[in-house]
Amino acid sequence: MERRQNHHQQPQNPRRNPSSSSSSSQSSNHRSRYRPPNRAGGDARPHRREDPYLDSGDAAVGGRPRSLARPMRAHASEAAAGSSIGVRERQEQHRRDQDREDDRDCRELASVVGTCPHMCPVGEMAQRERLRDLAVFERLHGNPAKTSPELAVKKFCRTISTRDVQLSDIRPFSVLGSTLDYLMSLMNSTPEPFETVHDFIFDRTRSIRQDLSMQNIVDKRVIHMYEKMVNFHVTSHHKLRLRSSGPDSFNISSLHHLNMEQLAKVLTSLYNLYDLNRDHSSTHKNEPEYRSLYVLLCLNSESLPEGERLSLWFRRVPTPVIKSKEMSFARRILRYFRTGNYSRFFSTIAAEASYLQYCALEPYIDKVRALAVLCINNGGYKLHPYPIAHLSNLLMMEESEVESFCNACGLETSLDEQGNKVLPTKQPAFEHPKAGYGKYGFSG
Amino acid sequence: MAAYLSMGEAHRRITDYLARFSDAVASQDVASLKPLLSLSSASPSLVSLADALNLLQDSNRLIKQSDRYSQFAEILAPLFRCLQNYRLHNLVDAYPAYEKAANAFIQEFRNWDSAWALEALYVIAYEIRVLAERADRELSANGKMPEKLKAAGSFLMKVFGVLAGKGPKRVGALYVTCQLFKVYFKLGTVHLCRSVIRSIETARIFDFEEFPQRDKVTYMYYTGRLEVYNENFTAADQKLSYALAHCNPHSEANIRMILKYLIPVKLSIGILPKDWLLERYNLVEYRNIVQALKRGDLRLLRSALEQHEDRFLRSGVYLVLEKLELQVYQRLLKKIYIIQKQKEPTKAHQMKLEVIIKALKWLEIDMDLDEVECIVAILIHKNLMKGYFAHKSKVVVLSKQDPFPKLTGKPVNA
Repeated sequence: MERRQNHHQQPQNPRRNPSSSSSSSQSSNHRSRYRPPNRAGGDARPHRREDPYLDSGDAAVGGRPRSLARPMRAHASEAAAGSSIGVRERQEQHRRDQDREDDRDCRELASVVGTCPHMCPVGEMAQRERLRDLAVFERLHGNPAKTSPELAVKKFCRTISTRDVQLSDIRPFSVLGSTLDYLMSLMNSTPEPFETVHDFIFDRTRSIRQDLSMQNIVDKRVIHMYEKMVNFHVTSHHKLRLRSSGPDSFNISSLHHLNMEQLAKVLTSLYNLYDLNRDHSSTHKNEPEYRSLYVLLCLNSESLPEGERLSLWFRRVPTPVIKSKEMSFARRILRYFRTGNYSRFFSTIAAEASYLQYCALEPYIDKVRALAVLCINNGGYKLHPYPIAHLSNLLMMEESEVESFCNACGLETSLDEQGNKVLPTKQPAFEHPKAGYGKYGFSG
Repeated sequence: MAAYLSMGEAHRRITDYLARFSDAVASQDVASLKPLLSLSSASPSLVSLADALNLLQDSNRLIKQSDRYSQFAEILAPLFRCLQNYRLHNLVDAYPAYEKAANAFIQEFRNWDSAWALEALYVIAYEIRVLAERADRELSANGKMPEKLKAAGSFLMKVFGVLAGKGPKRVGALYVTCQLFKVYFKLGTVHLCRSVIRSIETARIFDFEEFPQRDKVTYMYYTGRLEVYNENFTAADQKLSYALAHCNPHSEANIRMILKYLIPVKLSIGILPKDWLLERYNLVEYRNIVQALKRGDLRLLRSALEQHEDRFLRSGVYLVLEKLELQVYQRLLKKIYIIQKQKEPTKAHQMKLEVIIKALKWLEIDMDLDEVECIVAILIHKNLMKGYFAHKSKVVVLSKQDPFPKLTGKPVNA
């Protein structure tokens, strides 16, 4: 199982490179106390293999009650299968064991409350000091082997069984809340490059989710925490894109991919939380906006990793949310995108998008621009070249950018008799701009 | 609990059940076995058995009194626990017990050479899904994460594995597949259907046509719906049409369910249903959409979508219908073209953008020049219209030949 998970992790994971100074990655070269040994072994595997929720080993709310009792139970049933008929006592004993086991499952699930008072368990702190496994934000006075409870934050690590985790390694709700606030405060307050910040927060928020789900905290209190984590991933979606050209672009694009993957998970958990905590009288305050993000993230028929097609997804959205202003915006954007109405697509974004909504749909903006240029080039009258100034208004980009965008589409621009810049139509060489070909602003 | 139940009577009921179970297995009599596993049937004999179990509490002793029964203890003991909980309306505990019994059952089933017990396995596959759904409802009502249906999905996957190989049991694989579809559709994890579908459709060892008719129709219905959600209209058309052609012609409800998805598919490839069909199968929610397509009435399309928004969103066809907008524009422009042709045949192929704006204004839809130009450009791009537009003179020039190509069974260009 261990191997399979690594396998799952590695291919899209080039940022786990050992030289990374932040090294917030889960280094696999040590087995610490907080990385419990793999005991669940063979039994869990057939259950988990086809199970989408448990597959990632992530702490998404759906993936909670994995293995509290599996090892013992498997053992018991194997023994039972081997026992000969008539050995009544033994079977009886097995059954009692199993029942007791089941009871304990329920009790344990309900009662796990962590006792770790710091952002990072003391044992992990000491160990990571010893291993010099401290992210740049965790180093006391820059010392790579020294940290403090105000700096160290518990790393994410794949846990096989909650049983092996000590309560002192789990942070209770209040500590998790302040840990998250601390992490969010790092977003804008550090001179480190954004990739480094992202890497750190990415990992540590994941660990927060894991602690939450181990304690089965699924009530209203966590909704706000999940919303903050969505904010982080959505704004990262935008910020990583801004940095996506340059020498490190390959690395960034894989960061981008991992970010989307986690975003998909956090969103799914958040939507589950909304549903779980719904009472008929009201919708959650921010639910419309956060639901609208899903639509905006999967405008084309591609959905988020493991996500649902929008047609299916909409089936589950409560009617008041469907009718909300935020969702109505997202649905109009979706319609304009799907019908190719580039004119309304841009003007509506400019007029109505919130910052988060803009970050979510930003990657589609250049796609729609390319479609617009394609349609105008194909459908325009050959003797009437299309004025760049007009295109600039339509596509909501600076004139100079329009030119370079057209060039990226394989099209040439020229000047007409009056000296205005124009796009001659019916040029045969249109091609869709390559991914990461440049970044254009949105002047809405 | 009903009237007074004596210990002796309870004892008798339990032994009676045990005897019927072991006899059915010994004689490979699936018809007698099925009702013994069918929890949701709420048959009087199962209900009275459950009462007996709850009274006696120590049914395990009875299972172990004879080798005939105790060889199935792994099935029977959890099954009894399930029945007890089920009778007490404690579905969250009934579910894992049933799953345990079901697991033990498939162990046995695996060892039987023939497929005699297939029908019993169908019962289990059905029961486990329905029980899980109900248990999840109980869980969410108590503010807990629903998780049983997910577990049922994993279990059914295991059953699929038992059946999907070579041999006489394979004929049952499609039934289980359909149960899996129902689970995945409910859970919103339809991407998990993919591997099952691949296994069904690429297997050389078994011809699809050899599966039971009932299962083939259900399978085509679900995979057809999946193609609708993926907007593969050609494949969706083929699958749903198969389901329609082969389903029980007397089952109006099933025909209606198939048409509910087939109609939007047909509309998307330019084929409109007759009004009597909509009437006959009570699908009148599509009537105005069809009208809108015939008339080029954008306002009617929008209002029809709004009127039935909830229904269309819940069935998952909303986005497909919404996209018909492009065909409605095509129709509208074609009507303008026809009118112009009657008035002034020589100039009919030149259409002023202003005229389109005016037509839309009659429909109470406001559009500026930029947007109309954009719509025209898109229609040309999608080959719904042939011609070009002149930005400076604000006019569309239509091709003299076939300016509005029909879709004729093909989807609109992507």
